[in-house]
Amino acid sequence: MNTVELRDVTKTFGTHTAVDELSLDVPRGCVYGFIGPNGAGKTTTLRMIMNIFYPDRGSIRVFGEQRRHAHTDRIGYLPEERGLYKKMKVRDILRFYADLKNARDVNREVDRWLDQLELADWADKKVETLSKGMSQKVQFIAAVVSKPELVILDEPFTGLDPVNADVLKDAVLELQSDGTTVIFSTHDMNVAEKMCDFIFMIFKGRKVLDGTLTSIQDRYGSDTIRLRIEGNGAVLHDLPGVERVNDYGRLQELRISAGGDSQQILAAIMSRTRVRYFELARPSLHDIFVRIAGPEAEETNHA
Amino acid sequence: MRKTLKIALREYKVAVRSKAFLIMIMLMPVFMGGTAGVTALLESRKDTADKRIAVVDRSGVVAAALHEAATKRNTSEIFDEETGKKIAPAYIIEIVPPSAEDPEAQRLTLSNRVGNKELYAFVEIGKDVVHPGDDAQGARITYHAENSVFHDARKWIAQPINNHIRGLRLAEAGLDRATVDELTRWIPAEGLGLLTVDEATGQVKEAERSNEAQAILLPMGLMMLLFMMIMVGATPLVSAVLEEKMQRIAEVLLGSVRPFQLMLGKLLGTVAVSLTVVTIYISGAIAVAYHLDVADHIPFHILPWFVVYQVAAILTFGAMFTAIGSACNDLKEAQSMMMPAWLLVMIPMFVWLPVVKEPLSNLATWVSLIPPFTPMLMLMRQASPAAIPAWQPWAGLAGIIVFTTLCVWAAGRIFRVGILMQGKPPKLSDLARWAVRG
Repeated sequence: MNTVELRDVTKTFGTHTAVDELSLDVPRGCVYGFIGPNGAGKTTTLRMIMNIFYPDRGSIRVFGEQRRHAHTDRIGYLPEERGLYKKMKVRDILRFYADLKNARDVNREVDRWLDQLELADWADKKVETLSKGMSQKVQFIAAVVSKPELVILDEPFTGLDPVNADVLKDAVLELQSDGTTVIFSTHDMNVAEKMCDFIFMIFKGRKVLDGTLTSIQDRYGSDTIRLRIEGNGAVLHDLPGVERVNDYGRLQELRISAGGDSQQILAAIMSRTRVRYFELARPSLHDIFVRIAGPEAEETNHA
Repeated sequence: MRKTLKIALREYKVAVRSKAFLIMIMLMPVFMGGTAGVTALLESRKDTADKRIAVVDRSGVVAAALHEAATKRNTSEIFDEETGKKIAPAYIIEIVPPSAEDPEAQRLTLSNRVGNKELYAFVEIGKDVVHPGDDAQGARITYHAENSVFHDARKWIAQPINNHIRGLRLAEAGLDRATVDELTRWIPAEGLGLLTVDEATGQVKEAERSNEAQAILLPMGLMMLLFMMIMVGATPLVSAVLEEKMQRIAEVLLGSVRPFQLMLGKLLGTVAVSLTVVTIYISGAIAVAYHLDVADHIPFHILPWFVVYQVAAILTFGAMFTAIGSACNDLKEAQSMMMPAWLLVMIPMFVWLPVVKEPLSNLATWVSLIPPFTPMLMLMRQASPAAIPAWQPWAGLAGIIVFTTLCVWAAGRIFRVGILMQGKPPKLSDLARWAVRG
C-alpha cells in the first residue's frame, strides 16, 4: 500500500507553475528522497502533501484518503525554515507541538527524544539560547515526537555538523525500522544515495527521475570513467570520445560520449601520461543531477 | 475545536505570564491614579506667594473700596477652613495716584516695575466707570501683567470693583440695595433625572439629582476602558502574527492545524487575556466603590453589555489586525496597513462628546448603530442617564455580531493566503482580493 499518492498534481502561483502534472507513489515504510535544484518545486510538493497548499488540479491521497486534513495528526513535518517560539522553553514547545497532534504519552516521548538527541540538559532552557544545530534537532523532535506514521522532512541535514548530521540520520533510520514512512528533501547527493530507498528528482516543476538508485543509474548505463593519473588533469583535454571531464584534483571523472569506446579512451590517456587507477562505472547521483540541472543541460535543452 | 483551544491556551499562558502583562495590569491604575495624584500635587503646590498689585484709579471712587475688599479677602478667604493652611495668594493693593499730565509715562513706569518683579500687575480704572455714557475709553478697567490672560487676580478684581460701582449707582438712584437684590434674584435650573417606580414597593421614586459624574464621567470611563482594551489587547496580535510568519512558526503550526483554527485560537486567546484584565479592573473598581460606600452608583446593569461589547470589539479588531499581520513582512509595512483599522477604532473618540451630551439625538443613534462603532458608542449611550430605546442595544448587538462574523471570516481567508506569502509588500486591494477569492 502506498502511504502517499499524487496524481497529475499541478500548482501555480500567479503565472509561475511550481509543480506541473506530477504523479508519485510513496510506498509504506520506505525512505523517499526528494532532490532537485532550488526553486524546482520540492517544498511546494511537500507542502501540498501536508495540506498547507492545495493543488490547483490533480489528486493527493495520504493513507489512501483524499479528504483534506483527514490524517494531519498522523503526519510529522519539519519545514525547511525552522519555526520555534524564541521565548518558549524547549520542553514546553515540544509538548505544545505534540499536543497539537493529539499525541499520547507526550511527556515521556519528549524526554526520550531529548535524551536520544543529547538535548536533555537544554530541556528547561529557552529556545533563543540554543545554537543553530541544537534548534534544528529540537525542530526534528517536534516533527517526530507525536509518533507519526509519515514523517516529512524538508532539508533536515542542512547546516548540521557531521556529528549532529549522523545523529539525525540514525534517528531517521530508526524511524524507518519502526515502520514509519519518511520523505525528505536534500541537496546532499551522498545522503540521498546512501539513505534513500527511492529517489525522486523534480526540475522546473516536472518529475525527471523517480525510482531506486540502481534503476536510475541503469538508465544512464556505465558511461563514466573514474581515473587517477600522474600530473594534473590538463592532459585530459580534447580526448576523443569524451563528452565531459570533471577534474576533482586527485580524481578525474570522464563522461563517455555516445559511441565512445572506453578502451580507446584509456589508450589515448596512456599515451599522454601514466594511469594509476582506472574504473568503468555508472554515473553518481551527483553527476546525474548536474547532467539534468546543470547549465550545460540547460543549453542542450534550449538548443 | 480542541486544537483551536490549545492554540488559545498557549496564547493566553504566554500573555499572562509575560512581564508586559503585569506592567499593563499595573500601568492603567497607576496612570489614572498618577494623573489624579499629579493634579492634586500641583494643586497643593499652587503659588501662594503674595501678589502686589498697583491700582491707578482715575475715577477716584473705587480704589479705597478695592483695597478694603482685598484686605477682607486676605484675612478670610485664602486659608483652608479646616487646616488653616494658606491655599491662595494674598492680593496687596498699592494705590498709585493717577498722573494727570502724562498717563502714558505712568503706565510705562508701572510696566517696568512689573517687569522688575516689584509688582505682580497693575490695574487702571477709567475716570468714567461709574457713568460710562458714550465714552467707552474712559470707562475701561484694564489689567496689565506679563501674562494677564491666566491671572486669577484679573478674574477676581472685576467683582469688587463692579460691586462697588453698582452700589454707587443704586445709591444715586435712591434705591435700597437689599430691595434691588430681591427684585433681581436669579434662580438657576437644576438638572434632575426621571422619576421611576420602585419594583419592590411599587412606590414612585423621587428623581435623582443628575450630576456630572453620572452624565459624563461614567460613560466616558467605560468607553475609555473599552478603547484601552482594544489598544492593549488587539494591537499586539499584529506583531505576534508577524513573528509566527517571519520565524516560520506558522508553517510548523499549519502542519497540525488549519489556518482558520490557528487564527481563531489566537483571537480567542486574546479575548481571554482582555477579559482577565477587565475582570481585574472591574472587581478592583467595585471593591473600591464598596470601600468608599458609593456602591449604589455602580452600573451593574451595564456590566454584561460591557463584556459582550468587549468580546465583539476584540474579535472584530483582532481579526483585522491578524489579517494585516499575516499579509505583511515587517512592522513597517504593517503600520501603514493599520491606518484604516485604527481610524475605525478612533472615530468613536472623535464623536463621543456630542453623543454623550445628547444620547438621544439622531447623530448619536445612527452612529452608535454602525457596527464597528457600536461597542464604544452604544455602551456610552447605555451608561448615560438618558433612557435610550430598548431595541437599540439589541439592534446594535445584532449588527456587531454579523459584522464580527464577517470580519473573522474574511480575516481567515486573508490569513490563509498571507501567512505563507513571503517578500512582496501587500496592498489593501490584495487583501480584499484574498478575502473575496480566498
